[in-house]
Amino acid sequence: MMAVTGQREERKGETGYSWLFFAGGRTWFMRLVAILLGAGSGVAFYVWYTQRSNDLAPDSLAGYAYAIIGTIFLLLAAFLYALRRRSHSKRAAGQLNKSLNWHICFGVLGLVFLFLHSFGNFNPRSGTYALCGIIALTLSGIVGRFLDRLVPRLIAGEVHKALTVQGDDRIEIISQKLQAIVVHNSQKLRGFTPVPGAKFYPGRDKSGSGRDKSGPYSMVPLPGPISNDFSSGYKDQSLHTPWDLAYISLEATPQELSQEAGQYRFIPDKKSELTRPGALMPGAQEHFSDLQEVERAMQREQFYRYIIRYWRKFHIMLALLTLALMVWHLVFAAQLLLPTILP
Amino acid sequence: MLRTGLKRGANSAVMLHKTMPQVAQELHACIGCNECLLACPVVTGAVTIDVLNSETLAGPISTPVARFARACYQCGACVAPCPVGLHRDAMMMWLKVRMLRSGWGE
Repeated sequence: MMAVTGQREERKGETGYSWLFFAGGRTWFMRLVAILLGAGSGVAFYVWYTQRSNDLAPDSLAGYAYAIIGTIFLLLAAFLYALRRRSHSKRAAGQLNKSLNWHICFGVLGLVFLFLHSFGNFNPRSGTYALCGIIALTLSGIVGRFLDRLVPRLIAGEVHKALTVQGDDRIEIISQKLQAIVVHNSQKLRGFTPVPGAKFYPGRDKSGSGRDKSGPYSMVPLPGPISNDFSSGYKDQSLHTPWDLAYISLEATPQELSQEAGQYRFIPDKKSELTRPGALMPGAQEHFSDLQEVERAMQREQFYRYIIRYWRKFHIMLALLTLALMVWHLVFAAQLLLPTILP
Repeated sequence: MLRTGLKRGANSAVMLHKTMPQVAQELHACIGCNECLLACPVVTGAVTIDVLNSETLAGPISTPVARFARACYQCGACVAPCPVGLHRDAMMMWLKVRMLRSGWGE
């Protein structure tokens, strides 16, 4: 029984895509331990140093040590991952993931050590600007990692809306259905198109004696060809009936005949189902709303993909800006330091 | 159908998802060179290209492939190194949709 259940589970495989999934592994654990050990040792030394020494300044011996270690960490974070990405030798699947984990580790440690390097001095000088750049850079990296988890899940939700259960394009399916509706309606309306040569007028029965009861859309031919030119069409006919009965003739009136000349207007009966809004296109409105929903989903997918792309570029731009601020700070510090060292 | 976002240029456009038949076509075209996995910053060593290809389209999804599919953040690093010009990110997106739907009981 247990074996059967196990086989069923194996056949079913992994299911679900939750928001808060955990994808940690051995490298992730090693990274966490390294961050805790590195940051813990740095903070412990800071506490020990502040209790033993009065020289609590960024340009103290401990301050320089923190600056050098923090800068090394930041440079490792920046260049190790970038070089690994561009490396084409001795590659193996998973190495880039390890490099990314160490990139995050070194970035966080660099921030911690350079923050300790400040010794609480946040004067508006080059060092503070560089520190602000490092904080922004690290925060953008942390936010980026959260976005990397959340945004693909959002994209998958939008793609789910844009695809059918079988994985086909919903836009094409809806378009085909709409095309079928258009064809159906055009065939339906073609039944009402007056045939050239035959004279039709709506609302009369075959005898021409009144309204047709068989249906609201029926159109029946007039009895015999009738010309619009009454002076020529009736000139050979003799009046066998009294002249006043001509006014109650059941033949088509000139006004009725003029409706057929040149154009045809379809006017359904007021009780007809065709007078209902959208009746000529049953189901079309639903398909149109489905189409709009899919288009909105695709627009959102596009927006989410731009977030992924441009957040990475934003992180790189911040890295370049921070590097420039650090160089500025190093030049500034060297201008202060070198006159005291050199004779 | 290859859908692109903006039409200003090739660099500014983003490629949207692909349909299942397109993904199937790309899977059949895959030569298994492993270049996409070598360029991926997410994949761990537990996933191989043949297992990934066999589980992408249909059937049960193993735990390493499921972890990889959830962790994939569609950066597109796998697209450029492919010698055949395939879009592994679109295949991974189909895997994500499959897992999403399986979680909803579809």
